[in-house]
Amino acid sequence: MRKISTFRKDNSGQLLIVAALVIALLISSTTVYVYELGKETEVTDTQRLDDFVFAIKQATHNAMISSLANVSNEGNSVALTTNLYKLAEILRTMNHFAVCNLTFTPLNDSTYNSGVWLSWNTPGLGVTSAYSDFTLKAYTTETSVESNYAVNVTTEIMVNGFYTQLNSTEKLVNLTAVIYDEKGPVLAKNMSIQYENAGEWLTVDSSNSLSITDYGNGTYSVSFIVSTASETIPVSAHIFDLRNVYVRANTTCFST
Amino acid sequence: MRRENAGQIRILEAFFSALVIFSAFAVSSNIPVSQNVSRSSDLASIGMQALIKLDFDGSLGRYIDDGNWTGLREVLGVVLPEGTSFNLTVYNEQMVQLNSAVISNSEFGSQTVTCAEYICVSQRSAFHSYIVRLYLAMAA
Repeated sequence: MRKISTFRKDNSGQLLIVAALVIALLISSTTVYVYELGKETEVTDTQRLDDFVFAIKQATHNAMISSLANVSNEGNSVALTTNLYKLAEILRTMNHFAVCNLTFTPLNDSTYNSGVWLSWNTPGLGVTSAYSDFTLKAYTTETSVESNYAVNVTTEIMVNGFYTQLNSTEKLVNLTAVIYDEKGPVLAKNMSIQYENAGEWLTVDSSNSLSITDYGNGTYSVSFIVSTASETIPVSAHIFDLRNVYVRANTTCFST
Repeated sequence: MRRENAGQIRILEAFFSALVIFSAFAVSSNIPVSQNVSRSSDLASIGMQALIKLDFDGSLGRYIDDGNWTGLREVLGVVLPEGTSFNLTVYNEQMVQLNSAVISNSEFGSQTVTCAEYICVSQRSAFHSYIVRLYLAMAA
């Protein structure tokens, strides 16, 4: 009995130390837990800012599509710049969880003028394109981000063909048209064909036995019959893609 | 020597106890706040991603251009996770509300409501931009 009592008295300091260690461990682990929770919140804020930046990029992409659809369809040539200015202004005044500043530089080079390139006169090829560089700066109370990116919106058509003499005046014209956007082959929303006869452009319709085969991969096979004495048949293919961007290409069909 | 120090040890014990109690208060007061902020941010992020998904092919702009509020409500119900209550409001550039009908799947209760704000640019050739505010809450 005495032995046990002595043992307890001798070890009371050690027990205190062990208790202090346990308490210290508890405090440390709780602190670490709270720190981890705080870090998780920070990660979520970063995620929100990333989403926000992605949303702005999508808005600029849509603004480019809208502007190109406008310019290509007999719109104002400065529509792209005007619309991007509007978008940047709206973003500045919006009450987001982040403050943002969008600046842009439409491409100007040998082909692009104020970010727009309309090339419809190269034989067999038509290009309608818009290109601009953007700088987006976004700030929240916690974090900030600066993103430099470019947006390219392009619709392109490649067309070629030939004709077969059916009789003294009628000719069967066969065309192949392939449509692309900036990512690859795409479908057309609307397609019309014209041919030139005696200096006048005529629209091909059902009276010409027009037949269009859609292969579903951006490739279209077109055939129609024309009455012309000319040995060559200039043909023009006009299309609107699914984004309402217009493009056309001309080609000359020769006899097979 | 030990007997003389017994009082000091008691003081140390009291000091440690007080430290433990205050630490517990400090730590426990932080935990629910952190969790709420995290959940709220998650929900806002989910809302933003749903709107991005809808706008990816220009669908969101088309619904708004056409004033198809019923279609917009239905498609939002599909892209948002089950059990999410939402209420969406569409404004024009002058912050005038455009949606004539309520775009919502249920009333918000007492749960925490968070907001995702999104700018939607229509792909149509006439330039239109819309400010979309999506209020979200998790059903209790």
